[in-house]
Amino acid sequence: MEATVLDSWVLAEFETPDILVDATRQMREKGFQGMDTYSPYPLHGGSEALGLPPSKVPFIALCGGLTGMTTALAMQTWMNTYDYPLNIGGRPLLSLPAWVPITFELSVLFAAFGIFFGLLGLSRLPQPYHPVFESEAFRTASTHGYWLSVPHATGQDATAVIDQLKALGATQVTVVTGEKE
Amino acid sequence: MAETAATAPLDPLEPRALVAPHHDDKSLNETLLDHVWRKPGKGWFMLLGLTISALGLLVIGVTYTLARGIGVWGNNQPVGWAFDIINFVWWVGIGHAGTLISAILLLFQQKWRTSINRFAEAMTLFAVMCAGLFPLLHTGRPWFAFWLFPYPSTLGAWPQFRSPLVWDVFAISTYLTVSALFWFVGLIPDLAALRDSSKTKLQRTIYGLFALGWRGSGRHWHNYKIAYLLLAGLSTPLVVSVHTIVSFDFAVSLLPGWHATIFPPYFVAGAVFSGFAMVITLIVPARKYLGLRDVITDRHLENMNKVILATGLIVSYGYMMEHFVAWYSQNQYEFWTFYVNRATGPYAGVYWLMIACNVITPNIFWFKKCRTSIPIMWVASIAVNIGMWCERFIIIVTSLSQDFLPSSWGIYTPTWVDWSIYVGTLGLFGTLFLLFLKFVPAVAVSEVKELQLELKHAAHHNTHGAH
Repeated sequence: MEATVLDSWVLAEFETPDILVDATRQMREKGFQGMDTYSPYPLHGGSEALGLPPSKVPFIALCGGLTGMTTALAMQTWMNTYDYPLNIGGRPLLSLPAWVPITFELSVLFAAFGIFFGLLGLSRLPQPYHPVFESEAFRTASTHGYWLSVPHATGQDATAVIDQLKALGATQVTVVTGEKE
Repeated sequence: MAETAATAPLDPLEPRALVAPHHDDKSLNETLLDHVWRKPGKGWFMLLGLTISALGLLVIGVTYTLARGIGVWGNNQPVGWAFDIINFVWWVGIGHAGTLISAILLLFQQKWRTSINRFAEAMTLFAVMCAGLFPLLHTGRPWFAFWLFPYPSTLGAWPQFRSPLVWDVFAISTYLTVSALFWFVGLIPDLAALRDSSKTKLQRTIYGLFALGWRGSGRHWHNYKIAYLLLAGLSTPLVVSVHTIVSFDFAVSLLPGWHATIFPPYFVAGAVFSGFAMVITLIVPARKYLGLRDVITDRHLENMNKVILATGLIVSYGYMMEHFVAWYSQNQYEFWTFYVNRATGPYAGVYWLMIACNVITPNIFWFKKCRTSIPIMWVASIAVNIGMWCERFIIIVTSLSQDFLPSSWGIYTPTWVDWSIYVGTLGLFGTLFLLFLKFVPAVAVSEVKELQLELKHAAHHNTHGAH
């Protein structure tokens, strides 16, 4: 679950990833909620600074893998043992060792689907529009910029937040407003 | 993991840099993305023309095959499997190095993988596409290829799940799908970087579409990191399982030269061997053309050559064991296959070419001079590719053409259709690869930036860690 998405964000750019992580932690300790960092690569200690709970992706992957395994075993057993029994060289109709390769492959396939769609689902992607894209300067977030967003109630005075971010080392601060998600 | 990576000292035995030290995020960005925005040079267009011409051969070969049936191939009785399976195994094998580089080396935290994994994964994807074409065409009527999958047919019949050929269908389709997902997940942050450094609205829209709205959010990275690691963890056993299952196609039969328990590990080693050779073949010209020497350094190439040497030795050991067991078992058919038919029979030339390319060539990499010389490694890598193709030819054609009963022996000669389909897949592969080099960052930009930060942290730690 993502935190409640508000109308406006204060966007602050920091010079290095270390300063950004530090600033994030301090802002969170001051009680700011629903913040997010933006960086071209994962920040070391970024998840901890945002106080995120452990990711659910591994659990989804496990569910996917187990689904694949059960599907494969059930499919092969039902098709080759019950629905259309085939006598191949006198082997038992339920040849579990021969079911292993396909069981493995389907477990991997479903686990991979779980990971991929789990990642997209948990990140609410694809999401072509997001209010942070309103800031032209924010385009550096995917190349060489390190940004922090702090939710802010639309229309209210953001000076206090801006000052605090600047005190923590922000090089530029803007306020973006966009539609609710 | 993040902490240990950040504080671990640089490998003391390998002081040479993995990323040239003068780079920061911004300059890396320019270096690595530049080739996407740059207008491709004449060389690129000439190569593309060449590969598209080869692709034309594929179209001709496939069309002719579909119109006339697979009788136009050289396949006969007793050689019912030939180019179609040789090329299938060869291409799948080439694909495996990509997964090995991106997945296994990631799990082992081998930092040198970062600059070459995107490249190698693309190679995997395209190689598996080429591989898949062959069994599909060999079915004779590819429009009925869905018969390979379990589907509720009106005849009420199901596939026979004890057959390695059915396992193959599942293995290859899973491999293609998982490789594609792995590749795409790795690409998302770089597509966003392309979107954000694009110059025209059209570029921005297209890359934006594929970037799925990625904005580098810490909450997304949080899931992304673990997702990527898990996909790597899944791909590692997958790659081993795929070539094991491919080898079962042979090992499970009773033919002399095929019926061997050593096949799975020997096939997997051979796959990695040929795959790494293909990476060298492609990366040497590509890094020059793309100006990527700062991130794909000589150390990367040397490490890959070491892998080629190691897997080459495993393959040689496989050959040795096959010959040993053929003698030790005192099975006359096995003995005939290995010592008479393969070494002196109608295909002896291919056999000795295979020995020269696969057993002798990799040994030059014992010498540092050869491991680090660009022309030598490039020629050697091509030799290995040829050698591994010969290996599949030898395994498949010699065993089939002369098995138990001399009255049923036969000779296989490929026809022009066989050759044009094979050369055509080289064209398909080359075309896809050239398009990849043009439109997608050939190096995982976000990962290189992360690595560069880690290396900086490590260097900092080394200088200030003494007190």
